[in-house]
Amino acid sequence: QQGAQVQFGGMQQDTRAPVEVTADHLQVNQSDGTALYTGNVIIAQGEMRLSAPRVLVVYAEAAGRIERLEATGGVVMVSGSEAAEAERADYNIEAGQVVMSGNVLLTQGPNALTSERMTVNLEDGTARMSGRVKTVLQQQDDAQTGGGQ
Amino acid sequence: MARAPGLYSRVIAWAKIVLPLVALALLSTIFLLSDRREPMETVPFVEALQDGETTREGVSAPYYSGKTQRGDFLTMTATRVRPQSDGRVVADDLAAAVRLTDGSEILLDALSATLTDSTETALLEGGVRIRSSTGYTLDTDAMTTVLDRIEAETLGPVSGAGPLGTLEAGRMRIEASGTGGDVQLLFTEGVKLVYQPPKEGSSAE
Repeated sequence: QQGAQVQFGGMQQDTRAPVEVTADHLQVNQSDGTALYTGNVIIAQGEMRLSAPRVLVVYAEAAGRIERLEATGGVVMVSGSEAAEAERADYNIEAGQVVMSGNVLLTQGPNALTSERMTVNLEDGTARMSGRVKTVLQQQDDAQTGGGQ
Repeated sequence: MARAPGLYSRVIAWAKIVLPLVALALLSTIFLLSDRREPMETVPFVEALQDGETTREGVSAPYYSGKTQRGDFLTMTATRVRPQSDGRVVADDLAAAVRLTDGSEILLDALSATLTDSTETALLEGGVRIRSSTGYTLDTDAMTTVLDRIEAETLGPVSGAGPLGTLEAGRMRIEASGTGGDVQLLFTEGVKLVYQPPKEGSSAE
């Protein structure tokens, strides 16, 4: 399906680096063991920071492994110099992939891209945006004709 | 009768004087010259007797088990239990096990615990280890628990390992609050988890 392939974070990231999750509260359900982080949750791995008010941990079948983290309630993801915002983000640690959905806004320096969905591949630092992709290019005013892209 | 002349008689006469003196000297080394040592000090006394340990009665290896209204089983064992004057009970090396209706289990081990019957609460202190069947093994300094229902709270920070990695939190509460009343471990006042994704490929293992 067509979409825009953009650079995100601009560098390869070790998806096996330790993932650090900090939050105000954590609620663990004793019967099924689900873990729900609430209160400005920040997920950090290497250069990537993902912050959201609510993150649910979904376990992989094998014990002791996270399959993915579901961040909801307005997510901001920062990697290197770029930042992306969306309503929801699913961070699949195993595959090293973050799927952001719900009016995604990606800002790269002066330029901004919006779309419905964005799939960020952390391993090679690329992101694929799909669903009504719109790009807003910031016009360079004449004063800094020297600089620019 | 006079002594017969000759060397032999003179030697015997001197011997009769010198030998008792030597014997006397040997004997005195036992009493006169021996070092002064108070015999009472060398006797090994039991230290416990010094603070009147024997006068207080206590139960050794007590076993307590009970059931909460919700139907969870609570069993408690300790090495020794001593009643206090004000009706409270102090237990050493308390090990409490809560088996919940949903089959999971929470174990609390504490160095010492003070149980107050009037308020049905227990104060666990001296280092508490909390182990939950969901894979959490946490340590904290002190913790208060309620005896007749599932409710416990650490008094200070708690740290340890969860099923995913090392975990630290400012405080932890165990209570039966969630939907359907199942038991929740609530970590509050700042939580930090460090998860190390497995090194080999995701599909392996």
